Amino acid sequence: MFALKSFLILGAFPAGVLSLWPIPKSMDAGSTFLKLSSQFNISISLQSPPSDLLAAVETTMYYLKNDKLERLVVGRGAYDVQDVQDAKALSSLKLSLEEGAQVNSISTEAVKNIGTRSEEYQLHIPADGTAATLTANSTLGLFRGLTTFSQFWYQYDDQIYMISAPTIIQDTPAYPFRGFMLDTARNYFPPTDIIHTLDAMSWVKLNVFHWHVTDSQSFPLELAEFPELAQKGAYSSAAVYTPANVQNITTHAAAIGIDVMLEIDTPGHTTSISASHPEYMVCNQASPWSTYANEPPAGQLRFTDPAVVNFTTALFSAVAKTLPGSLVSTGGDELNINCYDDDAQTQAELKSSGLTLEESLSKFTQSTHGALIAEGKTPVVWEEMVLDHNVTLANDTIVMVWISSNDAASVAAKNYRIVQAPSDYFYLDCGAGEWIGDTPEATSWCDPFKTWQKAYTFDPLANLTDSQASLVLGGEQLLWTEQSSPNNLDSIVWPRAAASAEVFWTGATGPSGSPLNVTEALPRLHDIRFRMEQRGVKAIVLQPLWCALRPNACDLYA
Amino acid sequence: MVSFTSLLVLVVAVFPVRVQCLWPQPTSITSGTTALNLSPRFYIQPDVYPPPADLLAAITQTELYLRTDSMQRLVLGRGAYDMSAVQSAKTLSSLVLSLEPGATVESISTEAVKALGTRSEGYTLTVPADGSTATLKANSTLGLYRGLTTFSQMWYEYNGQIYTVSAPYDIVDSPAYPFRGFMLDTARNYFPVSDIYRTLDAMSWVKINTFHWHITDSQSFPLIVSQYPELAQYGAYSSADVYTPTDIQNIVSYAAARGIDVLLEIDTPGHTASIADSHPEYVACNQATPWSTFANEPPAGQLRFTDPAVRNFTASLLSSIAKTLPSTVFSTGGDELNINCYTYDNQTQAELNSTGLTLEESLSVFTQATHGALIAEGKTPVVWEEMVLDHNVTLSNDTIVMVWISSADAALVADKGFRFVQAPSDYFYLDCGGGGWVGDYPAGNSWCDPFKTWQRAYTYDPLANLTTTQIPLVLGGEQLLWTEQSSPTNLDPIVWPRAAASAEVFWTATTLGGGALNVTEALPRLHDIRYRMVQRGVNAIVLQPLWCALRPDACDLNA
Repeated sequence: MFALKSFLILGAFPAGVLSLWPIPKSMDAGSTFLKLSSQFNISISLQSPPSDLLAAVETTMYYLKNDKLERLVVGRGAYDVQDVQDAKALSSLKLSLEEGAQVNSISTEAVKNIGTRSEEYQLHIPADGTAATLTANSTLGLFRGLTTFSQFWYQYDDQIYMISAPTIIQDTPAYPFRGFMLDTARNYFPPTDIIHTLDAMSWVKLNVFHWHVTDSQSFPLELAEFPELAQKGAYSSAAVYTPANVQNITTHAAAIGIDVMLEIDTPGHTTSISASHPEYMVCNQASPWSTYANEPPAGQLRFTDPAVVNFTTALFSAVAKTLPGSLVSTGGDELNINCYDDDAQTQAELKSSGLTLEESLSKFTQSTHGALIAEGKTPVVWEEMVLDHNVTLANDTIVMVWISSNDAASVAAKNYRIVQAPSDYFYLDCGAGEWIGDTPEATSWCDPFKTWQKAYTFDPLANLTDSQASLVLGGEQLLWTEQSSPNNLDSIVWPRAAASAEVFWTGATGPSGSPLNVTEALPRLHDIRFRMEQRGVKAIVLQPLWCALRPNACDLYA
Repeated sequence: MVSFTSLLVLVVAVFPVRVQCLWPQPTSITSGTTALNLSPRFYIQPDVYPPPADLLAAITQTELYLRTDSMQRLVLGRGAYDMSAVQSAKTLSSLVLSLEPGATVESISTEAVKALGTRSEGYTLTVPADGSTATLKANSTLGLYRGLTTFSQMWYEYNGQIYTVSAPYDIVDSPAYPFRGFMLDTARNYFPVSDIYRTLDAMSWVKINTFHWHITDSQSFPLIVSQYPELAQYGAYSSADVYTPTDIQNIVSYAAARGIDVLLEIDTPGHTASIADSHPEYVACNQATPWSTFANEPPAGQLRFTDPAVRNFTASLLSSIAKTLPSTVFSTGGDELNINCYTYDNQTQAELNSTGLTLEESLSVFTQATHGALIAEGKTPVVWEEMVLDHNVTLSNDTIVMVWISSADAALVADKGFRFVQAPSDYFYLDCGGGGWVGDYPAGNSWCDPFKTWQRAYTYDPLANLTTTQIPLVLGGEQLLWTEQSSPTNLDPIVWPRAAASAEVFWTATTLGGGALNVTEALPRLHDIRYRMVQRGVNAIVLQPLWCALRPDACDLNA
């Protein structure tokens, strides 16, 4: 009769479950208090546990002891004291892999091909103080389970406790790609900010860091084979990512279940390359910039030039070699045609080759993608490469939808796999006014501000047929940084970027079977936001604390 | 023959690209294009006897900023191309401060809290290009303080060399308006004292002189009042989320020493549900539902002002707080009074019946009692605009009114003859545009959408729709942060550098040529003060990619 009981409890959706984000796919939670023993330990029943799993256990222990999160209720836990005193104490959590599972490091599992990773886990926390158990098919699954486990616990008067024992969770993500994109070219972010962002991503089970590392404004990526690019294209000699920085970032990411998808945007968004290679550039800083680019400065790679094709191909090859992940993005958005129409050299090259501009673009793209494929990578492009251009791409190319959520269906109609990154739901930078100068009245191009509620109500399968649904790999929220820098990174990203983390982990319906909705989600989002702050991330508040302490009291019709 | 003076005038007319370091722009400035080094032995000497302690502290602070700002110039090369000019430049060894003959020596703190309109903030600053002593003169230590602020913004650093690029400077400066404020709400979410200190520092850097502290509201009552300890004990978010009497004294002293007056607001009779935690008997429609019937936002709850006990309590509360504050201004709030709350309250209706007063008459009795208590303590009452536009309340003539609902309401307040502060939501609300925060409302939007950009605030005309005779009624203005969606985690980025926009509107008012301020001229200077703020530890947001900040005007719309 277990099923009936679990259904009943799920229907009531106990208050204790306010602690989890993303909410597990399937969960059975009680309402018994359980405290964490001061001798609590996490044991791993593996013969030779990978070092990143040991590190994850250590980090989990650290969070349990240092989160010091008081419950978001009136009294902040004062009314729990008696229940906690009477509660059983949990002394251990035992981690194990399913029989026959291969023991790999988290880092190895995290960068496997998309769709082949195993992130599911089972977590059982009994109410009677007997050992809790976490099992999975991979160390990556164990890592996800540890993340869930660490979110149960509150602290009051030095007592660490949870309020929803017993809990049984069977959890697995709805989509394999759950990302966050950061642009480090409009303004620079030191590696410490990236590491700190990766940590926050891991807390909500995001698994892809889409790193838009270069753009027209700056080229911070130091490459051993092409040192001149960052030397002349970075904002300063300090505002760079050295090869060691990149290794540290990809290593840190992988150890916490995150794949790094690097993007070198080409052939547009490349003015910064002209600082070292003006000969590769068309309409370099041409004015008026608005004729030649969507934002200043203008400048694009002259892809009709065989030397540029060779350079860009070698560049991708060199970058790809250094990365453990299987995904590399060549960008491909916002190509400006005026730039080529007005360039004598481009026109001469087209004439002599007998190719159209589109044919030449296809040749360029096949060359850069060929280099990636030769390094075992899957190319990723922005939607224009399949919707606006006539470019031959490998069938397994992944396409990122950004201009509008309406475009997903158009990409699906071309049968490419899709990552949902639509500006009308997921752009974190919208709504703060225009940043272009001399425009006192202008607003953000993608106004209004995309609230967490807007992101949360995104339907990844809207307008797609059943057979197209499998093309959707997942999605990501994105921060373009014309108006952002380390000063506001946390506050503009968190907790908003957690919204899509739940959309793509939990899927259309929560454990109770009813569709995700902002009213149910808000108390849990408060919880993870306050926990993030306890862990050092400056996430913004979503409401007055008065509301956060009184779930639903500040709802529209309350 | 071109005289030196006319050459300077010429320079001013074309506004040399290099004077991008000052915010707010002085009302009168001539500058050159000569580089000048700051001597490693540079010192500031106060020829003021006896020098007040806060003036000495301001000098020490200025010398610290000069040495530690480490601000590279926002140009390509960040100063690398300045080095040859710097090498042959003269060196400045000292700045001498003095008061005009006959000026009384008082502390900055004393000058900063004088009645509005009686403070002297003007100064004259001369920095010669030949290395001879720079001079700063004023009629008061407060004026000297403003001049030190200007002086500290002139300097850049590259490779350990501290230098300016636009010597000589001749500045004669004074503010256009006496009230230049910033408001922080510490009741929707709590801000520790250290956040308030840092905010006061940043305010002082752009010559803002009033900290409007909206300290309590319906959500929480963080103010510990010695005579009424129960208010914070039960009404604060926690025993840690409070401002003790010592905190208040520290903040007020810290502010005054930086030329900032603290305008404390205890919002009444609305916005007081948090008082119900200790005094439920004083509050009508306490946490009544649906909240939208009884309040503009949750929770509902307003002081039952028809009750003589509530009137006495409130007057006594305001009196006991006002006593502890040096400022001459104090706000009793008065916004968003919900009438349903009283219509449905039996006790209110019974009291109105027995006194024979209308609700408005009773509100007037209440307000006269609370304002009377403040006036008895030597304070000038400040109210939100509804108190004069929507209610029929007798106020003393010198009451100051804050316009907030719409910039269009300024003319209506002026028609009633009251002095006012420009705080219009359609220009100056820093919290707008972040989406709705009320729950269960996925499509909810910010009530005052869109986001108020710095450009929007900067193009505000404080005198729009006013007659010439009404102009003196405008005391100035302020940008405001209501904190339903803000907390210490985003305080700096949501406030700075945007709140610097009104600082210049109300200090400088017009361009040097007398024309309207314009965003295109302002942007490079705003970048400059923003980067300087970051150097001084304030997490101000960037306004553009650094690429643009290093190339003035290259990212303009038609560039």
